[in-house]
Amino acid sequence: MSVGTVEDHAEHHGVELSPEQQVKANRFGLWLFFISEIFLFTALLVARFFLWGNTRPELNQVVGLIATSVLLISSFFVYRGETAIEHGDKKRFMSNFLWAALFGTLFFIGVVVLEWNIFGLSGEIAGIEIFGTLKPTDGVFGGVFFAMTGIHALHVLSGILLLLAAWYNGRKNNYSATDNWGVEGTALYWHYVDVVWVFFYPALYLIGTAV
Amino acid sequence: MKTLKYWLISGYTKGLIGMAIFYALGFYLIQAMRNASGAEYDPNPGVMIGAIFSVIGFLLFAGVLTDWLKWIVGKRPPLKHGPPQGRPEWTRYINVDNNHKVIGIQYGITGLFVFLVGGLFALTFRLELSQPGMQFLTYKGYNTLFSAHGIVMIVSILLGVGAMSNYLVPLMVGASDMPFPRLNAFSYWVSIPPIVLVLAAMVVGGWDTGWVGYPTLSLRGAIGTQLFLLGFYLFGFSSIASSINIIATVAFMRAPGMSLFRMPIFVWGALSAALIQLTATQTVGISLLLSVMERSFGMTFFDPAAGGQPILYQHLFWFYSHPVVYVFVLPGLGVISELLPVFARKTLFGYKWIALSSLGIALVGFLVWAHHMFVSGMADSLRIPFMVTTLFVAIPTGVKFFSWVATLWEGKISFETPMLFVLGAISVFLIGGITGPILGTIPSDMPLHDSYWIVGHFHATMFGGFVFPYFAAIYYWYPKVTGRMYNEKLGKLHFWLMVPGFWVMSFGQMSAGIAGMRRRIADYDPALGVTGTQILITIAAFVIAWSVIIFVYNLIASARRAPMTNPNPWRSRAPEWQTASPVPELNYDETFEVVGGPYDYGKGTPAYVNMHPAAVPGD
Amino acid sequence: MSDETNKTVTAGYKRDWRIGWIVFAGLMVLTLIEFAVANLSNPSAVLLIIIGLIKAALIVYFFMHVYRLWREEKHG
Repeated sequence: MSVGTVEDHAEHHGVELSPEQQVKANRFGLWLFFISEIFLFTALLVARFFLWGNTRPELNQVVGLIATSVLLISSFFVYRGETAIEHGDKKRFMSNFLWAALFGTLFFIGVVVLEWNIFGLSGEIAGIEIFGTLKPTDGVFGGVFFAMTGIHALHVLSGILLLLAAWYNGRKNNYSATDNWGVEGTALYWHYVDVVWVFFYPALYLIGTAV
Repeated sequence: MKTLKYWLISGYTKGLIGMAIFYALGFYLIQAMRNASGAEYDPNPGVMIGAIFSVIGFLLFAGVLTDWLKWIVGKRPPLKHGPPQGRPEWTRYINVDNNHKVIGIQYGITGLFVFLVGGLFALTFRLELSQPGMQFLTYKGYNTLFSAHGIVMIVSILLGVGAMSNYLVPLMVGASDMPFPRLNAFSYWVSIPPIVLVLAAMVVGGWDTGWVGYPTLSLRGAIGTQLFLLGFYLFGFSSIASSINIIATVAFMRAPGMSLFRMPIFVWGALSAALIQLTATQTVGISLLLSVMERSFGMTFFDPAAGGQPILYQHLFWFYSHPVVYVFVLPGLGVISELLPVFARKTLFGYKWIALSSLGIALVGFLVWAHHMFVSGMADSLRIPFMVTTLFVAIPTGVKFFSWVATLWEGKISFETPMLFVLGAISVFLIGGITGPILGTIPSDMPLHDSYWIVGHFHATMFGGFVFPYFAAIYYWYPKVTGRMYNEKLGKLHFWLMVPGFWVMSFGQMSAGIAGMRRRIADYDPALGVTGTQILITIAAFVIAWSVIIFVYNLIASARRAPMTNPNPWRSRAPEWQTASPVPELNYDETFEVVGGPYDYGKGTPAYVNMHPAAVPGD
Repeated sequence: MSDETNKTVTAGYKRDWRIGWIVFAGLMVLTLIEFAVANLSNPSAVLLIIIGLIKAALIVYFFMHVYRLWREEKHG
């Protein structure tokens, strides 16, 4: 078996993509990945409605609202960073991506430390218990809540790493107004994680009666 | 000696070492954390994290992630092209390589190997079933073997689909490679560790659930169940990654003039299959992952004892696992439609209808999943709608059958081995096809469900829809891949052993099912009167096994023949036969132009592709 | 690439910047509406899902530039 040698065909080839077409293909491929992930998150929502029906566990409404806002703010910063680099404004791109990563980390900490309460803390602010009491072993409420927030948190974590990688590449001067697929792809992914939370937030915190 | 050295430094060896290291790392990390917190001994969480780590370790050590890690630290490594420097050329097949043809062959050889392993499992428990009573297997051993046969064969078929799609789609549309070659390499290499995990599951206690892994049995089974669920889950990454590449290839890399309805028909089959893989794989992934989490962390989703719903698992599972059979058969049916016109020297009848029927099957396939659950106690209101949608599948499938018959009609048919396998595939798929509506209709499904009738129906659809067309494809494109012709006599022998063998096996299984033989059962009552049938099925299974051994021998022996002199032995119009064999590194000497219809055989119309388009003025 | 920070504040840049603020404000307001709706005496799940869809559409269109899939844009 052999597929020939590169020397013989150095400048001969079938259809190849120009750099602009490659970016279009990258964008298309990333959106295909999003479509694929829609089925993952929809399956989780199906599990939530199948198992919880019109009920939900008692969760801290204020923590849910703040976490949602924090994620929206980070998405906003990512938009600003991406807009900046597309207009060749490297300085603003760098600072906005750092802010986005910071708010993303805040969201992650909010979920893991406050809602999951992995350190088993307790404490009150203005008379409201801010640490979650739900455990993964608490029947279908615990199971579905931890599965949905956990799988989303994994996406947040990978998104934060991507944001930092994009920031680091920015420091290395790898992006310009015309060559910034790394920034655009990271931004798309981060917004996508935000869109998922847009549906998870009402499904977990708002829809149904708390029991 | 040199060969051994190259194997020892190959991607496989390095990957397996990384896999072992990372598995131990993940497993003992979790065990140490659990010991520190004073939790009682439970291997499930450690195995879960260990298995996930092991895939990362495999990819890291094999070198799949190297370029991506370099991107993160700000480097821009160029894409590696061509054969390796300072090593024999064959070593590129056992290392990470970005060329779609190399990856296609890697898929194909791995798939064939896994196919032989799965066949060996089948022969073992087939021998056990030839007599009532337990001869040489335990109940546990039987359960593990039939479960492993199921999942291993599914993996091998998915690898076979990957082989055909990867090798043929870019070649057929005129591309030099796929748009994301590194992702393409990833999608092959990520499929290896799950195979190792599933095979490992057999030796650490096995599992009893069959390949479906239904709770609650899957939640209480031995630790082997956990490894099986994880292996199955992790294999999904391969499907998703490769489907993205195939869809993007079709979307962006078609040759000039190749409109969607001028693509070779196989590309339509591969595209429809990729659309299913892209979307449905996620739901089976989550159902398996939730099972794993339920085992590992005491969370509740499916266990009714703690308020869960086992039916939810079945819904999520079949939402993938029904469409996935179309992932198997759509490329296979594409091969049938691709090869028939070449050997009948006639136009493919109803090209557009065939192309759209592939998409139609893919779409309808998403709406039929609950027909696997007619007897599992789901909501009664779901039964009739799913029966109706199930019967709808017969319409696009029927379109394909009529097109094949009309293509053959008055054709100048020649009977080389690929054509024989295509005709065999049509006959076998017909058996599988017409036994389907009987199962899709609720009243007849009630008594037949979980009987050997289902085994017969399923194997007929899989062999007719995938295995026979796959063999046809291997014989047909073997000269393209190797530049050498296979041995025609051995090929014909393979066919004439396999087809009657399969007919006997299929009818035997169905008649045993009607007589009352249950599936997934190690033993049966001699009073059923199926002992003779069982012996017949076992003999047929061994005939098929021998024919496959002849096939493998043919592939290996023919690779040493003299290179063939005729560049286009099938007198095909397709573009891949207008370039050299073996195919050059970047497929074509230059981009060709599509100027005619793909299947206008015997019409005297212009060629399908113009290999050397004259320079257009002002271009 | 030279440092172009000073001469890049073009009209398009300002417009994109403003779009970001407006969309972000819209998203925050919709989130607060969701929160308020859910804490009414009889919350409507359908309404919450519709608001969620609007929010998702805003993000997908303005933040994720979904139209770039089928339209050529100036930068990229």
